[in-house]
Amino acid sequence: MTVIVTAGSFVVSIVLGIISAGCATSRSPVLRAISYAYVEVFRAVPILTQLFIIYFGLGSIGIKLNPIPAALVGFGLNGGANLTEVFRGGIGAIDHGQTEAALSIGMNPLMALRYIVLPQAFRIVLPSLTNFAIGLLKDTSLASAVAAPELSFDANTLVERTFQSPEIYILLALFYLAMSLPLSALATSLERRSARGHRA
Amino acid sequence: MMPSWSLIAVWLPLLVVAAVQTLKMAAFSYVLGVIAGLVIAIGQMSEHRLLSKACRVYIEFIRATPILTQLFLIYFVLPSVGLALPEFTAAVIALGLHYAAYMAETYRSGIAGVPVGQREAAQAIGMTRTETLPYIVLPQSIRIILPPMVNSAISLLKDTSVASLIAAPELMLRANDLTSEYYMPMPLYIIAGIFYFMMAYPLSLWARHLERFARRGYASAHSVSR
Repeated sequence: MTVIVTAGSFVVSIVLGIISAGCATSRSPVLRAISYAYVEVFRAVPILTQLFIIYFGLGSIGIKLNPIPAALVGFGLNGGANLTEVFRGGIGAIDHGQTEAALSIGMNPLMALRYIVLPQAFRIVLPSLTNFAIGLLKDTSLASAVAAPELSFDANTLVERTFQSPEIYILLALFYLAMSLPLSALATSLERRSARGHRA
Repeated sequence: MMPSWSLIAVWLPLLVVAAVQTLKMAAFSYVLGVIAGLVIAIGQMSEHRLLSKACRVYIEFIRATPILTQLFLIYFVLPSVGLALPEFTAAVIALGLHYAAYMAETYRSGIAGVPVGQREAAQAIGMTRTETLPYIVLPQSIRIILPPMVNSAISLLKDTSVASLIAAPELMLRANDLTSEYYMPMPLYIIAGIFYFMMAYPLSLWARHLERFARRGYASAHSVSR
């Protein structure tokens, strides 16, 4: 479940992040304002609150989502806001002449972004993306609060249960370690490689 | 599903009290994180092999596991070795120790950002290693350290919501309680979200301002040295 939610919301986050970063760097003030509001709101509100609004809130007004789709929407929207900054930084690092050249050979702004800027920016943002994936993997632990509300709301039940088996939580921590340590090793090696590419 | 204004008038004072508890929890954990983070950063840079290794392992462990797991370890597992903590204290310790690991990395990058020549010069005029850090290195690294420190404050403020899962008194717990009482999750969680936004957004504006300031300072410092 953790892996499904992480991978799924990673994809949603990247798509939303690219769209929102495209808006943030566009010439239209309306698109820029939308992107700004989206990023600021979703970055200032805890992911737990967002998940509860999506799962319990939407559920109460008739839009019932299962825990996994709710988690995908919640983490995807939240991640998209975080990745907007990352992609915007990556796009900003690409020389403006690249876009101008693309426009001058007749591409429209969207094509220039898709074929010229993003492929180059992607290389720059790769280490940040890996770090984001690690953060996401850990954040998905909060999905359990949505999937099993009785677990989170009734701490007493939990205490009774866990007094019998504190080992469960130690095991849980080990599981996360096993999942995120390889990812963080990957992030380090990517960072080193992109630094080398930069020098060369 | 719109709640009446009188209902909101009942909720608001309760949520304001809870928001203050959230701020209190965040402030306590932040102070703990700032101090413990500095200790860990210094330990990590020490020449004592075992100490620096231990600090490294601590940072890696904290950064590789979710705050929720750490909170559960402290709240549910420590009692089995005879150390039962009240919810609020457990949350402050978990959040503080969690952010200490991130802040240690921030300190480290800030200290590494100060040219080695500064340290060498300090030692050349006869300052000891323990004097060099507080008087020469830290003051110069503040400009590098400050923006990520404010960003940590924002993340920490948001992460206090996780403490509701061990029933520590704060904003999300209050919103949960009111939800089970009135069954109006949509307006209640949105109000909670607005509260978080009002607390975090000023910090985020400040962080952005500091980032711009740090970059400008960096640029002008370089043009001077050229």
